[in-house]
Amino acid sequence: MKKEIHRHLDGEIVPDALAREDLEIVDEWDRMLASFQRAAPLGDAPPWLEQRVMAEIDALPERASLQRFLAWIVLPAPIRVSPLAAGIVAAGVVLALVLPGRGAVQTDSAPVAGGAVEVVYVQFLLEAPMATSVAVAGDFTDWQPTFTLEDLDGDGVWSGRIPVRPGVHGYMFLVDETEWTTDPNAGRYQDDGFGNRNAVLAIGTSG
Amino acid sequence: MSPVERTDAQVVRDVLSGDRDAYRLLVRRYGDVLHGHALRMTGNTDEAADLVQRAFVKGFKKLANCREPDRVGAWLFRILANFCKDHVRSPRRSDVSMTILSGALTSGSDPVSDAESAEIRTRIWEALDALTPEQKEAFVLKHVEGRTYEEIAAVMDLSVASLKMRVHRAREALKGLLEEYA
Repeated sequence: MKKEIHRHLDGEIVPDALAREDLEIVDEWDRMLASFQRAAPLGDAPPWLEQRVMAEIDALPERASLQRFLAWIVLPAPIRVSPLAAGIVAAGVVLALVLPGRGAVQTDSAPVAGGAVEVVYVQFLLEAPMATSVAVAGDFTDWQPTFTLEDLDGDGVWSGRIPVRPGVHGYMFLVDETEWTTDPNAGRYQDDGFGNRNAVLAIGTSG
Repeated sequence: MSPVERTDAQVVRDVLSGDRDAYRLLVRRYGDVLHGHALRMTGNTDEAADLVQRAFVKGFKKLANCREPDRVGAWLFRILANFCKDHVRSPRRSDVSMTILSGALTSGSDPVSDAESAEIRTRIWEALDALTPEQKEAFVLKHVEGRTYEEIAAVMDLSVASLKMRVHRAREALKGLLEEYA
């Protein structure tokens, strides 16, 4: 499709500026875009929405106690950890991060010959109590923040199970759509060539 | 000052001060806009309402993180838009065509033209559903909801250039898809 046609559809140039043969294409597009608008479903929010939202909000714990809980997470407090205990905890974190999904409902984890799996569902976790959104981007998403994590219970821990093919992958979290954040609990890291560190995820095949 | 006169920023401040009930003002102000977008992204009224409910509840939980309380509507919209994209990406979502089709069949009095328009609607929405979630979102906001690039960029916190690229790619993909169906 010609650039001029896009520019016209973007409202940047008037039809008079187009070549004769392009006008027919533009007419066709105008008809199609009008069809999209006519075909679009319309509908205001159902009347019960407000009641349901407020009922769910009323069932949440009081904000004061929630704030105290968040403050408890956010405020620094000294802890003493022996090197041995730290090593055991770190190993546990790595295992949790690379744990293959069990009973996942996604269908593209179909087994292939040799018992290997095409994708493994990886549980990603990030503690970010002040975030409004957390997404995961890595070489398995072409570095697009394609998958968003959830914090459904509002405890500040964002999580999600994401399909990743076996191999060694770099990844980062994108917090609030702007802040690239390295996973503090990754087992390995690599320089990204721009002065930051990517977390590294290694997934082996089971076959 | 009566509740209806409160600005968004005042409502946000009241909610954060403990007046939970004030949050219903935001639900009333933005419920229809959010639901309309969710409906156009999912094609299903039940799923749209569920996504909007989740977005409002999440917005309440994270309200302290809203950096521009006077633009809380745009902030809530971004939360919903992320839910919608994840939902569109999900393989578990229900078939959209039935909802669209049933709406089309009750749209007029001529059974023949109604059937034709139903077929066209189904074809159009199947093509839209074949786009990536980001392309679909950009196309819906631009060409179905009729927003300007500047409006979309402000709401979605993206550059106009990025948005244009998404819309251009969506048009190219739709052109190919609709030619396949023709």
